Amino acid sequence: MNSKNVSSEFSFEKEKAIAKSFSQRFQWEMILIGIGQAMIWLSLWPLVINGIIPLWAGFCIASLCACFAYLPSHESQHGNYSRGNPKMRWLDSLVGHITLITLISPYEILRVTHMKHHAYTNDHEKDPDYLSAHSGSLIKTIKRAADGSSVSDYEKCLEVFAHDKNFVNSYTKAIPIALLYRATLLTLAVIFPLETLLLWWLPAKIGTVYTVVFFAYLPHLGTSKGRYQDTRFWSHWMPRYINHSMQLHFIHHLHPGIGHYDEPKAIEALKPFLQARGVPGADEIPDRITFNPLIKI
Amino acid sequence: MLVEKFFDHISNWSKFWFGLIFLGSIINEMANQSGMFISVPSLYLWTYGLGAMIGLIAKIRGAWF
Repeated sequence: MNSKNVSSEFSFEKEKAIAKSFSQRFQWEMILIGIGQAMIWLSLWPLVINGIIPLWAGFCIASLCACFAYLPSHESQHGNYSRGNPKMRWLDSLVGHITLITLISPYEILRVTHMKHHAYTNDHEKDPDYLSAHSGSLIKTIKRAADGSSVSDYEKCLEVFAHDKNFVNSYTKAIPIALLYRATLLTLAVIFPLETLLLWWLPAKIGTVYTVVFFAYLPHLGTSKGRYQDTRFWSHWMPRYINHSMQLHFIHHLHPGIGHYDEPKAIEALKPFLQARGVPGADEIPDRITFNPLIKI
Repeated sequence: MLVEKFFDHISNWSKFWFGLIFLGSIINEMANQSGMFISVPSLYLWTYGLGAMIGLIAKIRGAWF
């Protein structure tokens, strides 16, 4: 919907003011999840190697940790822990780096490419997540995430954004960390082959597929370009806590500063604005997003 | 210059090295633990060789699958 057709009652300024009121709270839950899952994952190594828990149990727990690993880093990428306070930026960086160890992913590369994803959502040349979101089918997206194609998409961004010095600097700064991850993985594979496979590599693959499907594919499926058109409200059979409430991801694209756990309340408050703007699926947003109103069987 | 060449090699041949070291180590461990190949002399040559071959094929194809 063209902004000219939207009543002044639903102006962007009013929308922004409401969104801002949900963008203040300290995201302590995310820090707990990010650092917590990384510590649990790390503790699996001595527990499995010393035979205290079986490898299959370690694999299940590590896979769960990997599925929880991305979202805390995502809040870091948007500076949602420091909230604009330069003295607290270290917290964004700390949580962002630590939580991504489980996914074998360098924080800075994910941060800068994610910023480009927000700036150019659904642009087939400039959106780093375009091919993951618009692969044509869920199976293709899963295959791309599993075989590392989604990582190759990020490497191509270096050419697309070669003129953007900040992007290139941040990206290249993270390459030694990517190599360190790789060297650590290969070294551990020689010393503890099956443990490395089942505690790190395979869980990281599962976590990456989970993240790409729920964060990149489903929220952008069938959407086009434009602030109010590039992400949708959707629902399916899965209780929302299993997919990190990604049915509500559209509000994050409109107002990235809203904390993840404050998104349901923000959507309730902003629902008339979203409907007036014609956000895809907005008419199906329930009046109250409480326990699990987003299940659609 | 040497560092640059090293990084170029790593990025061009990453699939091969991953196959040799990572897949090779895992195949070798599985072969040893299964006990089925206990009579095969220098088993590690076959297991690491298989890993390297998988990596080399992936490098030539440009994709794992």
